[in-house]
Amino acid sequence: MIVQGEYTFPGTREAIWELLLDPAVIARTMPGTEEMVRVAPDRYEGRMRVGVGAITAAEFTVSVQLADVVPPERYTMQIDGRGRFGFTRGTAQVRLAADGAGTVMRFEADLQVGGKIAAVGQRLLDSVSKLMTRQGLESLSKEVNRRLASADPGSRSPNPGSLP
Amino acid sequence: MSARWLGERVPRLEDTKLLTGRALFTDDVDLPGMLHAAFLRSDDAHGVLRSVDVEAARRRPGVVAVWTAADLGEYWKPGPALVPPPPIAGLVFNSATQVPLAREKVRHVGEPLALVVAVSRYVAEDALDDIVVDVEPLLAVTDLEAALAPGAPRVHEALGGNVAARARQSKGDYAAARGRAHKVIARRFRYDRGAAAAIENRGVVAAWDAKTEELTVWDTTQAPIPIRNGLAAMLGLGESQVRVVAPFIGGGFGPKIMMFYPEEVLIPWAAMRLGRPVKWIEDRQENFYATTQERLQIHDAELAVAKDGTILGVKDRFLFDTGAYDPYGLTIPINSQCTLLGPYAVPNYDSEFTAVFTNRPIVTPVRGAGRQHGVFVMERLLDLAAKELGMDRVEIRRRNFLPPDAFPHDHQILFQDFAPLTYDSGDYGPAMDRAVDAIGYERFLREEQPALRRAGRHVGLGIVSYIEGTGIGPYEGARVTIEPSGSVRVATGVGTQGQGHFTTFAQLVSDVLGMDPSKVQVITGDTREFGWGTGTFASRGAVVAGNAVHEAAIRVRKKVLKLASEVLGVDAGELFLECGSVHVKGAPERSLRLGDLARKANPLRGGVAPGTEPGLEATAYFGPERGNAANGVHAMIVEVDPETCEVRIRRYVVVHDCGTVINPTVVEGQVQGGVAMGIGNAFYEQLVWDENGQLMNASFMDYLLPTALDVPAVEMRHTVTPSPLNPLGAKGVGEAGAIPAAAAFAQAVEDALEGEIEVLEIPLSPNRLFDLLGSRSRP
Repeated sequence: MIVQGEYTFPGTREAIWELLLDPAVIARTMPGTEEMVRVAPDRYEGRMRVGVGAITAAEFTVSVQLADVVPPERYTMQIDGRGRFGFTRGTAQVRLAADGAGTVMRFEADLQVGGKIAAVGQRLLDSVSKLMTRQGLESLSKEVNRRLASADPGSRSPNPGSLP
Repeated sequence: MSARWLGERVPRLEDTKLLTGRALFTDDVDLPGMLHAAFLRSDDAHGVLRSVDVEAARRRPGVVAVWTAADLGEYWKPGPALVPPPPIAGLVFNSATQVPLAREKVRHVGEPLALVVAVSRYVAEDALDDIVVDVEPLLAVTDLEAALAPGAPRVHEALGGNVAARARQSKGDYAAARGRAHKVIARRFRYDRGAAAAIENRGVVAAWDAKTEELTVWDTTQAPIPIRNGLAAMLGLGESQVRVVAPFIGGGFGPKIMMFYPEEVLIPWAAMRLGRPVKWIEDRQENFYATTQERLQIHDAELAVAKDGTILGVKDRFLFDTGAYDPYGLTIPINSQCTLLGPYAVPNYDSEFTAVFTNRPIVTPVRGAGRQHGVFVMERLLDLAAKELGMDRVEIRRRNFLPPDAFPHDHQILFQDFAPLTYDSGDYGPAMDRAVDAIGYERFLREEQPALRRAGRHVGLGIVSYIEGTGIGPYEGARVTIEPSGSVRVATGVGTQGQGHFTTFAQLVSDVLGMDPSKVQVITGDTREFGWGTGTFASRGAVVAGNAVHEAAIRVRKKVLKLASEVLGVDAGELFLECGSVHVKGAPERSLRLGDLARKANPLRGGVAPGTEPGLEATAYFGPERGNAANGVHAMIVEVDPETCEVRIRRYVVVHDCGTVINPTVVEGQVQGGVAMGIGNAFYEQLVWDENGQLMNASFMDYLLPTALDVPAVEMRHTVTPSPLNPLGAKGVGEAGAIPAAAAFAQAVEDALEGEIEVLEIPLSPNRLFDLLGSRSRP
């Protein structure tokens, strides 16, 4: 399964970079994330709970290994999630580029999904992953705005963030 | 002997039990102290199994035992090779049989990794969540052509590649025939099959009695006797210490054959180890990848024809997906190879297949067992040839039918039973005539179709012929006993999965012993009742077990006549059997009830003559020298909606020749059920796998079975050419309905769309049809 897209955030690359790698932010913004801990500078571990079709709450233990980290430009994630309903694993690449006052994030993930979640949820996987991606990006964008607002209490960002 | 019951529409005697919930199925077995099992299965299609940590599962309250491959000790052995490869010259065959629990490597999704036994299924399934599996994923082998490329990942490292088998069978000189041909039709065909989707999933219950030292296993198997023999050997028991009962079974269709599935091998072992009964019942999702299935074949085939449509020869090269293991040998591809020839004279034939290991579940026969693949290729080639030659599609078939004086006809290649593919009997022209007549072929083409087309409707007709090799050996047996009560018991070794054995076998006995079929009690599939035989497969029950039952009844009749003539003091020739009694001709009041005679045959005092066998009982066996060739024609009319690509079947006609018909209702039921599976195969059912070997539609939400709305009532006609290979003249019928349905469907859809598309693949679906139409101008 390929998940890809781009999203424009307000704020500098450095600010977005910091957010994206902050485990607390990930836990708050990624839908279904119940716990996310940075166990090493380049490694995260946590738990997620997602619903796909007939499987209403599949719990996964997730590990994310970072590689090819070039702040504040790009990094690669080796994702490994597994649970009683199957697994998802693969790699995701994230690239940040300055775009005026904002930052464009381009992402591409190639994920393998297996086990029950593939067997009975396949029909819905695509739409569920798109939905989760959108929800994640939108809450991330809110987080960016909140930080920008608290950094500069007098003004709100003119650009709330948008999908192209 | 009168033939009062043979050929009669006796209502199925088993249906009262089945319809009132009084039939015992495996899941009905409930024993005191019984434990419940669940299996942890691989989510990965291919990977190195680094570890399976079951410590937490063992600690869960209610869990009695957890085993991995490492815990099985010497009991861990790959399963038996069930069907050896046939003696085809130059054959390549690499055997790799399934293992009880994976160790070192996983080779398909659903392969069992651990067995949990607990006080309930709930606890057992919860404990599966406690198990931590570490698999290092490997690239999955999923594409049949890529699997054969050098450097492809291997399903079995020990083998040089992914070739499971390669076999070439040929006759005549195809190259020379091709050189003489007026036309050569060459195409690539893809034919995918699917799950058997029996209503009842698999199940095993095992109980070890330490006092009698007997193991009883209730098993949803089509072949209880081979399972008993195999289990006895594996468990170090005598065959008489093991009783395998295949009670009523909710549909077999092939995958419940003597597979020695991991669950079938492990549950009896666990019951013995624990000293408590253990039950495992498969759930529907497990059934999709833990039960065998049938899948894709890719055929590159060509047909060389003369200008008048005469077949000069056929060449075929095909790939066959055998899955991760090949315990069932080459039955399916050999069936495809043989059945392709159909009812036709094919003087030159060159066919080679390559069976390929993939990281998908094991492929074994599903109703039809590869025959439909062969029929599809041949019938499609004939349709294409007819089109190219401007010939009528019925005419090109008629022109190539083997004539009635061609029998026995030796095709000069080997069939799945290792005997030469020799058709015993048949008369194909009249079968086609009846189908043409029943479907109204001429009138449809001349009047109805043009009128419907003018009205903007897309209605088409399909009509195809086929042969089904049936009734293969080695043998079956039966014991017939007249009880003192006057009822008759028939015990035979074949398992029964809904075929109507309780009725048809009773009918065979009724005629011989002069009694009502309802007085005949048939017992099948209990090794304690009858311990010799192989099982139910290859449409062989009526042929092989039926003839054994018939012969055993004849032997009992001889005993009846002999004893009655002594008791009544008349010559045996003066006696006849009727209504459960022996009567004297001309003096019907002088009679003896069979029950009373049975009592006299078992004296309590006094002497008997030397050599006397007690009771009115006899056992007989029947083994045909080779299989029969049943045949038939399927014709259907479909309507296609080119906007939605929905296909409605308006009519479905089957003309079938299964030799002597024992019970037309049972035959028609078999054909109707087979056609339903054939329609499912043609337009609804497909197991969809991704490139990583994941099954993507393992539920009936996504795997579509045809419903009653999709399957028409089949209009049935019979023709009868009795088989000379058995006394009853019977041929098999179990798989017939499923075999040619997709070929007829493809032709009908093409016809409905006025030749806008070529259908070279099965299954179709509304989506696929839409895609095919999209590549052409829409009609």
